[in-house]
Amino acid sequence: MTRLVEISVSEAVLSLARAGDAGAQQRIYAAVAPATLTLIRRFVGHGAISQDLFQDTMVTLYEQLAQFRGEAPLGAWLRQIAISKCLMHLRSPWRRARLCLAALDEDTSAAALPLASAAISADVIDVERALAHLAPTARAVVWMFEVEGFSHEEIARSFGRSVSFSKSQLARAHVRLRAWFAPQGTESHAQRIRP
Amino acid sequence: MHNESDPEGIVARILAALPAEDARPYDWSEFQRRRARARPGRRARTVGALAAAAVCALAAVAVWVRLESRTGTPAVTAPASARAATGSAAEEPRAAEAWLARLPHEPAIVQVGTRADVLGLEDRIAQVDDLLTAGGAGRGQGVSVLALQRERARLVSSLVQVRYAETLANESR
Repeated sequence: MTRLVEISVSEAVLSLARAGDAGAQQRIYAAVAPATLTLIRRFVGHGAISQDLFQDTMVTLYEQLAQFRGEAPLGAWLRQIAISKCLMHLRSPWRRARLCLAALDEDTSAAALPLASAAISADVIDVERALAHLAPTARAVVWMFEVEGFSHEEIARSFGRSVSFSKSQLARAHVRLRAWFAPQGTESHAQRIRP
Repeated sequence: MHNESDPEGIVARILAALPAEDARPYDWSEFQRRRARARPGRRARTVGALAAAAVCALAAVAVWVRLESRTGTPAVTAPASARAATGSAAEEPRAAEAWLARLPHEPAIVQVGTRADVLGLEDRIAQVDDLLTAGGAGRGQGVSVLALQRERARLVSSLVQVRYAETLANESR
């Protein structure tokens, strides 16, 4: 399985897609859509919001494809669009208002996880549950830092906050995730996957 | 990437081990369907935002015109300066009247309610014009002429708002 940032598409297909060729656009969709939706779900969870952000990201991809200069893989460019959409969502006042309502039904996203990911192994579900229990901002920060390779400075810029904001969010996320992965008296996830 | 709060990199290793493509998005045809469905919505949002901005701008102009006319109240006690103020007040709605003059007499689609408002406002403006013509013939009538000019400016402003809303409604059809 390829990470989104590593997915590239041939220049011939890109040229056809820029010219409006539906077949080429479909090939690009098939190449990038699964990794894009996966990335968005890591940021915002498995709800309907992730579908909306995914749709918005893909529409933006085709609308702005003419601006893609091919200096990096297409997936890296698309990753920037997807992360930007996710961060806009996380910063939006509408989302904050909805959080108040969601707090009344806190465990719904994690509870829905096994049904949504029936084909995925128990270990993956366990990690996804752990991520789902983090606050959305902390989840985004830990994912950007640990997996996407953003620095604290870049994360701070993305959120319009200070570097210490990024560091404190990461530290808190680490504490919660480590506690989740190492429950007392049972074999932890960390032990299971450790080589 | 290790950190003080995760020195062994356990969290990093666990997160990096997650599959990069475990989600199954809807297929291309569904994407196309949703994209086509969203287009009119995007256009409507743009038109709505433009209409809201226009209404805000008109409201600001109306408030400004009203405040300007209030600041002119000392002129009531001084007929000479009142006549001067009348001249400037008459200039303010000139741009609005020029815009109104460029519009067709009747819109492409006539709405009964809006049309009644437009006709009512136009009738009242005509009455004020008659009074101004009659008042302008007499001498020492500065105060009442000023009041009529202000009333006329107010009516023209209202007419601009109604006709602009009418224009936007027709464009968004």
